[in-house]
Amino acid sequence: MRIELSALSLSLSQWRLLPAFCLILVFTLIGAASLAALLFYGEADRWGSYLSSTYLWRVVRFSLWQALLSSVLSIGFAIPIASALMRRQFFGRDTLFQLFAVSMVVPSIVAILGIVIVYGRSGWINSWIGVEVPLYGLLGILLAHLFFNLPLAVRLLVQAHGLIPQAQWRLALQLGFSRWQAFKTIEWHYIRKALPGAFVLIFMLCFSSFAVVLSLGGGPKSSTLEVAIYQALRFDFDVSKASVLSLLQVLICSSVALLIYRFSLPLKQDNSVLTLTSYRLKDSFWSRLFDYGAIAFALLLIIPPFIAILEPVYSKVFWQTLQDKKMWMAVGVSLKIAIPAAILSVTLGIGFVFVARYAYFRPQLVWLAKLVEHLGSSILMIPGLVIATGLFLIFRQIGWGFDQGYWIVVWVNGMMALPFVLRALVPVFYQQEKRYRMLYASLGIWGWPRFLLEWPVVRGSISQAFGYALLLCLGDMGVIALFGSSGLMSLPLYLFQLIGSYRLEQGSSVAVVLVILCVLLFVLSTRIIGGVSRVKH
Amino acid sequence: MRFTSFFSFSATILATSLLATTAIADKSNTLTVYTYDSFSSDWGPGPKIKEDFEKVCACELKYVGLDSSVGILSRIQLEGASSKADVLLGLDVNLMASAEKTGLLATHTVNTEKVTVPNGWNNPYFVPFDQGYFAFIYDTEKLQTVPTSLNDIVESQDLRVIYQDPRTSTPGLGLLLWMKSVYGDKADEAWEKLSSHTVTVTKGWYDGYSLFLKGEADVVLSYTTSPAYHMVAEGVNKYQAAPASEGFYPQVEVAAQLKNAPNPELAGQFMSFILEDGFQSHVATGNWMFPVVETTTPLPEAFSSLEQPTKVLSLPVEDVSMNRSVWVDEWLEATTR
Repeated sequence: MRIELSALSLSLSQWRLLPAFCLILVFTLIGAASLAALLFYGEADRWGSYLSSTYLWRVVRFSLWQALLSSVLSIGFAIPIASALMRRQFFGRDTLFQLFAVSMVVPSIVAILGIVIVYGRSGWINSWIGVEVPLYGLLGILLAHLFFNLPLAVRLLVQAHGLIPQAQWRLALQLGFSRWQAFKTIEWHYIRKALPGAFVLIFMLCFSSFAVVLSLGGGPKSSTLEVAIYQALRFDFDVSKASVLSLLQVLICSSVALLIYRFSLPLKQDNSVLTLTSYRLKDSFWSRLFDYGAIAFALLLIIPPFIAILEPVYSKVFWQTLQDKKMWMAVGVSLKIAIPAAILSVTLGIGFVFVARYAYFRPQLVWLAKLVEHLGSSILMIPGLVIATGLFLIFRQIGWGFDQGYWIVVWVNGMMALPFVLRALVPVFYQQEKRYRMLYASLGIWGWPRFLLEWPVVRGSISQAFGYALLLCLGDMGVIALFGSSGLMSLPLYLFQLIGSYRLEQGSSVAVVLVILCVLLFVLSTRIIGGVSRVKH
Repeated sequence: MRFTSFFSFSATILATSLLATTAIADKSNTLTVYTYDSFSSDWGPGPKIKEDFEKVCACELKYVGLDSSVGILSRIQLEGASSKADVLLGLDVNLMASAEKTGLLATHTVNTEKVTVPNGWNNPYFVPFDQGYFAFIYDTEKLQTVPTSLNDIVESQDLRVIYQDPRTSTPGLGLLLWMKSVYGDKADEAWEKLSSHTVTVTKGWYDGYSLFLKGEADVVLSYTTSPAYHMVAEGVNKYQAAPASEGFYPQVEVAAQLKNAPNPELAGQFMSFILEDGFQSHVATGNWMFPVVETTTPLPEAFSSLEQPTKVLSLPVEDVSMNRSVWVDEWLEATTR
């Protein structure tokens, strides 16, 4: 009788996840259907010929190499920086954190110009120190990718730091741990759990990086598969070629991801309660030097391009731009797209994470958790342009045209932000499951009441997830470029329209507005959703 | 239920979008023109042309601004026969073959005798609306020895060059054809020489031009008319186009009417309007290109100071569409050796 009951309750609890499963299903179907729509648009017999070009494989090799270097460097530098930022309090630390969230949404052309102003031939380094940086080539690509991804890596690792329970720090204090001992015996165990996920995320971002690789790569030697996909889709309208190449990209990135997860350590979630107070461990000159050195390095790498990007604030054009009604309309359109897309993305993310955490702590279902997690990230491997085009072809069948472009833009943007949302949500939800699963089960609390009980602990991460999604959708160029029209002019599109008509200065001013808007929105969403107490890291 | 609220949320989204489909307004007196967005933007020629056309047509002209010339083509390729567009405005001459292949275009009845493009104009589908020449732009305050030919640019090993990728941008494709028409079978050698002092090859025109303005290169691939923008709009005279003794390669932008245009009469009227003053007089300072007919109002002074081609090179459009991918491969091969 007892056994029967527990079996019944198990199947019941699985049924409860049905809505979440539906979300995953919808997400997967949309992604797969859009790829399939493209694949079967052309003839299948030519697929082989697309893959037989030597140049293509040279591009793949180069992409793998630069993506590997970029992600290893980003994460390698992020480990000491995240650790130092967690330990040290200094003036402007919170601002720095907010700025770190923004770097990944700066439109690539703006970031490229920022980097060029610092490292370029007429740049600051050359004019102050007189050293010409050999920017164009691998170095330029790496600098730009570090600019985009180092802050992201730091944020992800800082989040992992947040999972270290108070008790462990207290113990460390009592045992008189040094900075290094504390890192080795405590921090590292938490950080390394976050490494594979962060690595895969950054690897995918760099593998498919397009404008950066072309502009700073110095020539067609440095190229990515994404260029070939773009060319096939836009210039040749060879839809099936574009989708075959996209599949190749999915295949390569998935293999890398599988390899990483295969060799990554099994996750062991801790049972302890989280808090936010940190204990002052034994300090020494060397540990201070090390920490502030790491922070200084991060500042030196990230801040100058930001200052370069923000430079137009001092110009008259910037203040004229602020009075530009068109720009404010573009801000409005951007918000109209980004807010629903971010809500959608977080909704999808919560669905994914509910299923993943349910499966994760049931040995026979662990594969499902991994699959769900990977599924959520896999969208990053398919270029947004490909998904959008595929969706369009499907929608055309049912009579939707570009008049519905807005909804497509919202959906695709929401889907594209999911990998970031998942990275923000997964750790804390796993921890909650591990810690309280039995308790909730025994009390029969599930669904909405359980979510309400969990809310105070998870709201911080949800706010982060929402912030990421909001910013990513705000910075989107690829999807809206295909579906946008005169009625749907977002801020990044407006920026490109300006630089596309020689108005570089005005464009740079719009970029400043975009960056400031991003910081504001990120701060706002972490305050409103995350609650004030969660703002401190 | 755990997900009721989220579910009803997505349901609302779906419902709203379904409602939106039924609300497509199809005004019979509206002419829909697909163009690239810098044409239809406030500072482009679009708004003035709209004003002038609406005076004579008693209709409403609606622009749909797309991201680029190629973007216009992609959009109708995707929409197919169900497109709501009447006229496509802003295709590059080298995209004509692909556009024709869609089978979506209608022939025009416009008299193009007055058209002043190199070698005249005779095409049943397309009407040209502006023209220019690809050229390398330099900063007169920085560059000491100015190249006088394309060959100078290729051979000068210490000249830092930025151009655009022919796989992703129309000026890049223009340079590909320019090189081909100057060097013919020896184009690969020339590309190899050029690649040794190329700073970078960018995705689009604006990436390259922005890098140049930030001082990253001595010359950048753009148009002979680019200096006019700096002179007229900014009062800056230091940017000039380098002369090319072999001749310049032209860019001609064209318009076409769609076979399934919802409003064929208005579309036809607009196609002839393209060669009239109400359109052509706005091309120079709006789009920073040359008009394709003699305009009654003279061009701004800055335009007469621009580098004029001594000779105009041109490859037949059919050859281009047939060999483009071969030539792109040749470029790739030569520059990645």
